[in-house]
Amino acid sequence: MSAEGARTASGERNERLAALLARVGMADERAFEDVYRLTGAHLYAVVLRIVRDKSIAEEILQEAYVNVWHHAGSYDAARAQPMTWLTSIVRNRALDLKRRREIDTIAWDSGDDETPPIEYPSDGPTPVEMLMTAADSQSVRDCVETLEGGSKQAIALAFFHGLSHGELAAHLREPLGTVKSWVRRGLEKLRRCLDAAGAAE
Amino acid sequence: MNLSGADRRERLDRIAAEFALGTSSPRVRRRLSAIATRDRVVADALTQWERRLAVLADAVPPVTPPPRVWARISARLGLEHRPAVREVPLRWWSRVGVWRALTAIGFVAALVLGVAQLGQQPAPAAAPIVVVLAGSDAKPALIASASRTDRFLTVKAVGGTAPAAGRVFELWALPQGGAPRSLGVIPAGAIVHMPLATPAEESLTNIPALAVSVEPPGGSPTGAPTGPVLYSGSIERMY
Repeated sequence: MSAEGARTASGERNERLAALLARVGMADERAFEDVYRLTGAHLYAVVLRIVRDKSIAEEILQEAYVNVWHHAGSYDAARAQPMTWLTSIVRNRALDLKRRREIDTIAWDSGDDETPPIEYPSDGPTPVEMLMTAADSQSVRDCVETLEGGSKQAIALAFFHGLSHGELAAHLREPLGTVKSWVRRGLEKLRRCLDAAGAAE
Repeated sequence: MNLSGADRRERLDRIAAEFALGTSSPRVRRRLSAIATRDRVVADALTQWERRLAVLADAVPPVTPPPRVWARISARLGLEHRPAVREVPLRWWSRVGVWRALTAIGFVAALVLGVAQLGQQPAPAAAPIVVVLAGSDAKPALIASASRTDRFLTVKAVGGTAPAAGRVFELWALPQGGAPRSLGVIPAGAIVHMPLATPAEESLTNIPALAVSVEPPGGSPTGAPTGPVLYSGSIERMY
């Protein structure tokens, strides 16, 4: 599919979702059901990768949609695209929960050879593969291409699997400082590149 | 933490980036979320980063959640359409954002007009089914009415409402949660009758509202509205 065609499809989806959310804001149950049908599988997949536990992912999804029902009225289409808004709601919930559980278990911070490897869903793409194919626009892929290897890997693992700095260091077997600067440099580079691409469009 | 001063913008941007990416510590996450609720600059920085990174999430292959997730959501919220998420294709009627506002306006207008009609005429003569179809300016454009047993709708154009040359108005029944069903092209004229297959009460069962779209001569070629929806209104049953 061409970048143009894909961008239009994504734009259409967002337009449709914005209209549906406006109706959900007025307690339209049918519109809410449509929002769930259009976004549920995507958001569930995002959460599942971060928490890696089906029943927890289901719970987060439920909470998130209950939240959407109650707060759709305050959704501001001028501030965020619907998918951005929805994705942020579920990612933030998933990350908050994951961090809370880590404090309880500590296991992730041991940082030595005993650290359990991160298990990826076996049939799916790896985080770096997803980062490389990310998004429906060539410009975003071009920006990802500009990242150095370490930054690319760290950002992919952090974004798709919700790894913290400490977890990244353990998983990549690099000092915490190195990983932090990979993340920082990578994000800085992405910002410049994405904003330039966005301004050019 | 003062993050909105001009000299702090760079630091804010970095913190917001790591928040959106997800690598921030729980402490930073909590504090930043709290600050964002009262500081627009911080909230904007977060939103911008969430927007930048959200496109990455598109690459995650979707996983259909088990049906119990929707069942629990709708049970929690006490929704009516509890069991199934139906596979109904979305078309324009899902995009009509002004929709509920229009029907709400129609409702008020219908009550006002209904009362006015009841006032003017002996009660039995007043049509018990009335729909005031109004545009986005809330001005009534068409009034459709019928008695419960009529096998036709009487459609009256208000103030000379008529389609543009070479176009027709098509009337649609909007079932609860379903696709619009055509009631036919509205014939030209100030007061016209549109046949119904069954008595009005039966034809309009489970139809909360009607709408009018602009179509090519002969009506929509697709069976669904193709032109803009100019007027809509909710059905008022005065019995």
